[in-house]
Amino acid sequence: MTTPVLSIRNYTLDYLTAGGPVRVLQDIALDIAPGEVLGLVGESGSGKSSLAWAIMRHLPKNAREVSGDIRLGDTDLRALPGRDLTRVRGRRIGMVFQDPSTSLNPTLPVGRQITETLVITRGLSQAEAWTEALALLGHVELRNPEALMKRYPHEISGGEKQRILIATAFGCRPELIVFDEPTTALDVITGARILELFTRLRAETGVAALYISHDLALVSRVADRVAVMKHGKLVEEAPADRIFRAPQHPETQILVDAVPRPERRLVHDQPGERVLLAAQDISVRYARRRLFRPAPPPATQAVGFNVRAGEILGVVGESGSGKSSIARALTGLADFSGSIRFDGRPIAAGRAMDRQYRRAVQIVFQHPDSSLNPRQKVGEILARPLRLFGGNVSDVGRLLEQVRLPASFADRWPHQLSGGQKQRVAIARAFAAKPSLVICDEITAPLDVSVQASIIELLLTLRAETGTAYLFITHDLNLIRQIAHRIAVMRGGELVDLLPIDAIDAEHVHPYTRDLIAASPTPVG
Amino acid sequence: MTDLLRRLVRTPQGAIGLLLLLVLAAVCLFGPWLAPQDPEKIDFLGRFRPAGAENWFGADQLGRDVLSRLLVGARSTIPMALAATLLGTVIGSVVGTASAYLGGRWDEAIMRTIDAVMAVPGLLLALLLVSTLGNGATNAMVAIAVAFAPGMARVTRSVALNVRNQDYVKAAIVRGERGSWIVFREMLPNVMAPVVIETTIRVSFAVMLFATLSFLGLGAQPPASEWGLMVADARQYVHQAPWILIAPSIAIAVTAIAFNLLGDGLRDAMNPRNER
Repeated sequence: MTTPVLSIRNYTLDYLTAGGPVRVLQDIALDIAPGEVLGLVGESGSGKSSLAWAIMRHLPKNAREVSGDIRLGDTDLRALPGRDLTRVRGRRIGMVFQDPSTSLNPTLPVGRQITETLVITRGLSQAEAWTEALALLGHVELRNPEALMKRYPHEISGGEKQRILIATAFGCRPELIVFDEPTTALDVITGARILELFTRLRAETGVAALYISHDLALVSRVADRVAVMKHGKLVEEAPADRIFRAPQHPETQILVDAVPRPERRLVHDQPGERVLLAAQDISVRYARRRLFRPAPPPATQAVGFNVRAGEILGVVGESGSGKSSIARALTGLADFSGSIRFDGRPIAAGRAMDRQYRRAVQIVFQHPDSSLNPRQKVGEILARPLRLFGGNVSDVGRLLEQVRLPASFADRWPHQLSGGQKQRVAIARAFAAKPSLVICDEITAPLDVSVQASIIELLLTLRAETGTAYLFITHDLNLIRQIAHRIAVMRGGELVDLLPIDAIDAEHVHPYTRDLIAASPTPVG
Repeated sequence: MTDLLRRLVRTPQGAIGLLLLLVLAAVCLFGPWLAPQDPEKIDFLGRFRPAGAENWFGADQLGRDVLSRLLVGARSTIPMALAATLLGTVIGSVVGTASAYLGGRWDEAIMRTIDAVMAVPGLLLALLLVSTLGNGATNAMVAIAVAFAPGMARVTRSVALNVRNQDYVKAAIVRGERGSWIVFREMLPNVMAPVVIETTIRVSFAVMLFATLSFLGLGAQPPASEWGLMVADARQYVHQAPWILIAPSIAIAVTAIAFNLLGDGLRDAMNPRNER
C-alpha cells in the first residue's frame, strides 16, 4: 500500500473554556490516499471544521491538543515550527472556504491576489505568475480572464469568486486540498457548476482532497469515501456509494433520512378552492428615482399568482431572482405597484397595510440569529404579537409547546438557544398572531440537514392543526418537491413557470425549470 | 450586569479606571467633610505658602488651602461634566437611532443638519450658546450637552443602520409596530454598547471643556472652587507659586484619564468575542 497523503492517528483536541475543557475531537483516525477524495459529514458542532483547522495548523488560542499525530506524507505537522508551517500551507495543503465573499481581500484587484499566491508558493516571477494566472482562470471556465484579473472582488459574482479561489488552490499544486462547505453559500445552479468543475479538476490533477459538508447527498456524489462525524467522534467510514444505500450507524441513518428526496411526498392532502391571496402585476422597485440618475430597474417584473387557503406554494429560483422581493412586497417591507387582494379585500401597499392583514399574513425570516432581538427574552418576544393582535399574554408557554420547546424557554435569552431553537421561536412568533398565511423566506437554508427536516416536520404539523397556507421561498428544489402543492419558478425578476407539483417533470415546462431540476443533487442510490 | 463588572475588573485599564472613579466619587460625596480647612477662609499671613504641614498642597494668593478647595470643588466639576455628557448622549443617541430608522429623506435632512452643526467647533458652539443664554454653571452644562449631541448622533446612527437591517426590526415593522416602539424598544437597546463607551470617553472632554469655559469666565463664577476656574485664577501667579496651578491641573488630568481608562476597559469587556 502506498503512503497516504494525509494520515491522522488517535487525534484528540480540547477547547479550554470558562467552564473547563470541552472535548471537540476524540480519537480521530483518518487516511487519505493519493488522488482520493474523502468526504467528511456531520451536523454543525460535530467538529468538522475544528479538524480542518487542526490539519491547517491554525487552531484558536484556547485549543489544547491532547494526543495523536497528523502527518502530511512523511512530515509530522504537529512537530513543525511556525516558520516551516508557512511553507506547508498553500504549497502542500490548499484550502477553499465556505464563504467566497469574505475569502478575497476587498481592497486588492483579483489578479494581484492570485499572482501574489503563485509568486510566494511556486517561486514564479511576476510575469510568469501573470501568464500562469490567466491560464488557470481560463481553465476554470471564466470568461475573459484578462479583464477579470483587473477587477476588484465586489465587481464579480459569488460563483466567480469561488472559481477564482478554486483555481488558485489548484494552481499552487498542493498534495492535499481542504474544502470547507465550498458550495453552501451559493445557490443551486452555481453550486452544481462548481461541483462539476471540482470533479473535472480533480480528475485532471489527481490531487487528494478532504471535502467537508453537512449535506450527505452532495458529499456522496463528489467523494470516494465518506466519513461521518458526531460529537467529535468518527462514527462510520465507508465507500460513498455504500454509505447511502446501507448506512450502518444510527447517526448516519438519521443523516440519510434527513436528506430531502423529491419522490418522498410529505403532504398528501389537497388545498381548498377558496383563493386566500391574489397578487396581480406585482413589481417591486427599491431605490427611488434620484434627481440626476434614472430609476434603477425593478427587482421583479409584474409577477402575478394566487395562494389558496391551506395551500403550500413553493417559490424557487437562484439568488437575485426576486423571490425575497415578493416576500418583502407582500409584508409591506417594500413598496410595489400592482394589486393584492386578500380574502377578496384590496390591500394598500407598503406601510399603509391595515392591522387585519398584518395579523393574517406573517413572515419567518432566513437567519435565525438576526430575527430575534438579542436584548429581549424569548417570553417578551412572543408576548409582543399576542398583545398587539389581541391574544392572551399568558399563552406564551402554550406557544412554545406548540413549536416543541419547553415552556421554561420563555426565560432564556436568544443567544442561549441553538439555531434550530431560534427558528422555532421565530415560527412561534409568527403563529402567535393566528395567521392564515405564513411566508417562509429561506427559513431552512442556514440550518443543518437534520435540523431542517425537523423544522419542516414542525411546519407541517402546525399546518395540520391550524390550516395555515404557506408561501415557501427556497432554492432547494428537492425539499420543496416534498411538500408544495404548486411551485413557482422565478428568474431575473420574472415568473417563468407556475406548475402543480405533478407537472414539474412534464414536457412543456420552461427550460430553466428543467435546468434547476438537473442542478439539484439527488442522492446516489 | 455583574458579569460585565467582573469582566471589566479583569482588564487592567478597567480596574484602574474604576478604582480612580471610586476615589473621585468619594471626593464628590464627602469632599466638604474631608477638607482639612474651610475652602473660602482667607489667611493673609499664609499667602503663597508652599506645600507643607499647614497646607498640604500649598495655599493660593488669598491664603486659601488648595487641597480643601480641590476637595470641595470636585462637586461642582465632575457631576456637571457627567450630567452634560449624559444629556448630550441621550439627545444624540435618540436622534441618531430615529434618523437611521426613518431613512430616506428624513435621514438625509437630519444628518445634513447635524453635519452643519458639527462644522462649528465644539468650544466655539459652547461659547456661542453660553453668551446667548448667559453665564453660569447650568448654562455651561446645557451648552456642552448641545455641542456633544451631533457627534453622538453620528456614532449612534452608524451602529443603528446595521441594526435597522436586522430581521427583528423588519419583523416589528411587519407586525405594524409604531415608530416609537421600534426606535426605543427594538433598536436603542442594541446600539447601547458603543454609545456607552463613547460616553465614558466624552466625559473627559466635558471636564476639560467645562474647565475651559470656567477659565474663560463663562462657566462657574468666583469664588466657587471649580477646577477650571482655579486654573484660571492661578494663571497670573504661575512664576510665584506654581503649585496653585499644578494641583487643579493634575486633578483635571486624573479625572480625564480615569474616564478614558474606564472607556477602554468597557470596550474590551463589552466585546462578546472576548468572552471565553
